[in-house]
Amino acid sequence: MVYFLTSVVRMAVPLMIAALGLVVSERAGLMNIGVEGIMLFGCFFSFFVSYNTGSTWLGLLAGCAAGIISSFIFACASITFKASQIVVGCAMNMLGSGLTAVMFRKYFMENSVNGALANSFQAIPIPVLSKIPVIGDVFFNHNIIVYFCYFLIFAVWFVMNRTSIGVKIIACGEHPKAADSLGINVFVVRYLATLFSGFMMGLAGTYLAIAQSNTFQVDMTGGKGYIAMAVVVLGQWKALGVVFGSLIFGAANALQMAIQNSTVINIQYNLILAIPYVITVLAVIVSGRKRIFDASAKGTPYIKS
Amino acid sequence: MKKSKIKEILSSIWLPALALVGAILVSSLVLMIFGYDVGLSYQAMIRASFNNIRTVGNLVNNTTPLLFCGLAVAISYRSSVFNIGAEGQFIAGCIASCWIGIIGKGIPGPLLILMMIIAGAIAGALWAFVPGFLKAKYEINEVITTIMFNYIALQIIGFLTRTVMRDTAQADPQSFKIADQAWIPYLLPGTKMNSGIVIGIALAIILYIVLFRTPYGFNVRAVGYNKTASKYAGISVKSVTIKTMMIAGALAGIGGAIEVCGSSHYIFEKISNGFGYTGIAISVLANNNPIGVILSSFLFGFLKTGSSTMQRMINTSAQFTTVIQAIIILFIAISAASNASFKGRTKKSTKKGA
Repeated sequence: MVYFLTSVVRMAVPLMIAALGLVVSERAGLMNIGVEGIMLFGCFFSFFVSYNTGSTWLGLLAGCAAGIISSFIFACASITFKASQIVVGCAMNMLGSGLTAVMFRKYFMENSVNGALANSFQAIPIPVLSKIPVIGDVFFNHNIIVYFCYFLIFAVWFVMNRTSIGVKIIACGEHPKAADSLGINVFVVRYLATLFSGFMMGLAGTYLAIAQSNTFQVDMTGGKGYIAMAVVVLGQWKALGVVFGSLIFGAANALQMAIQNSTVINIQYNLILAIPYVITVLAVIVSGRKRIFDASAKGTPYIKS
Repeated sequence: MKKSKIKEILSSIWLPALALVGAILVSSLVLMIFGYDVGLSYQAMIRASFNNIRTVGNLVNNTTPLLFCGLAVAISYRSSVFNIGAEGQFIAGCIASCWIGIIGKGIPGPLLILMMIIAGAIAGALWAFVPGFLKAKYEINEVITTIMFNYIALQIIGFLTRTVMRDTAQADPQSFKIADQAWIPYLLPGTKMNSGIVIGIALAIILYIVLFRTPYGFNVRAVGYNKTASKYAGISVKSVTIKTMMIAGALAGIGGAIEVCGSSHYIFEKISNGFGYTGIAISVLANNNPIGVILSSFLFGFLKTGSSTMQRMINTSAQFTTVIQAIIILFIAISAASNASFKGRTKKSTKKGA
């Protein structure tokens, strides 16, 4: 049971990180469906750098940088050039999936280093807290990115709910024209929100590649980026709601893995793999009916006149 | 008046062309960065499609499913429904038609083919109905639901081809073959030129007429331009959304049926290979115009045909064409948006002048 709860947290963290980033960018009025592709960039570059330098910290840096740079492409196309955000997001997914596959083949399969393993972040038990029964193992015996994620939950909540920066972000998403007339630079705010969410997606990818596992696989995110978008809907575009939502999906994933490994329950594995996706649809149906917190100007470029 | 129309048509041709040139330049740059021979890779690509009549057949064969998926995306985007689910709808069509094809052993060929196509259309339409209904009724974002439905369809086909429909005589998990009389004949003997392409082109023309010459098509486009205004004009936005989504699903499902009848003759887990996602690129490139979709699906069929040859000749990943597709979409999306804003600007300036 403790093992199951621990794996819930382990599975929830990448969704949580990506979804926290999305909370910021979606409330600023951007619909970035390129999460999947940007996460894959984070996965590949963190793995690539960690493998070649042996340093997980440099890998982390590279993964986050890859997230920021690739989300900059999205920001340029959709904010500056005002291209359709959905279409650009689709392109980002294809770019992430295709480019990482090409690079993986080029650098790892051509040189016949199949099954290359990189250094990965190891679990660091927090001295006193990890000794608490159950809770200690479930929450305080993880790698450093998980602890960083705890901090990010607080940071995003604090910035969005208790500072003027949060108000500015929400204003840009709700009514960019009004925000502009109050002297808020909508372009700058939207750019920064996108880059921040890119950083978070890169971090989520890094977690998948060199913390949860220690390798890269083509399309290894397997829809986690899209599920993160569903988590945002489920969490009603709030930091704390997102935490709750990603724990539900973490549980769905952990359950799926537990059933797969179990010798008692014998269900064909394709059906088990479908569980998280079915739950996503159900969760979006349940929560999507009250859309009060979604930014009104989401998905539309701001045209200054 | 006429002059402006000519200008509009010209801009709708040279902008995508410009974007394509830009995309080719950037793709070449990417190839160069990875140290591949650019000339050789394009040569490999062209040869894969146009070396002889047999390779042209491959090109047509690869284009056929893309054409249907492109049409499915085009009609839904016209009414501002972002159907990312052509992939899942295509798979649903494959499953249903293959099932009919397997159990319909005694039925005469043409009838069986027709039944398979109808089954594919119904399955695709049903698979698209749920996201469409959820969007119309509860305003649930169709992007998330259609993507999730893609993943679910993928797991269902994986499940079926590994269990109930599995042909155990084969090493890899795949279904039984459909009845022999249900195989659509090839257009040219000795090639894999799929006669489904004719059906696809005919459907594209019909779709064009429906979109631009019928009241329903007018409603679809009106909802696409401005939902609130259409509502006040008395158009039922909900029913248009659901209907459009189902037509889109049916088109993708027919594509799946044609793929089963005309090309693969059985189903397996990876039968779709991203056709639905490529359909988005195809439709965007064609500005969601069904006639344009015919041309742009040939372009993407060409890219797809070239991908495996490129892998063989210069040892790049077959996924490289995905990169080229992504770059094309980015360029097209940007050029379309700047075209719109350019038009807006000129309109405003004339107003000022008057």
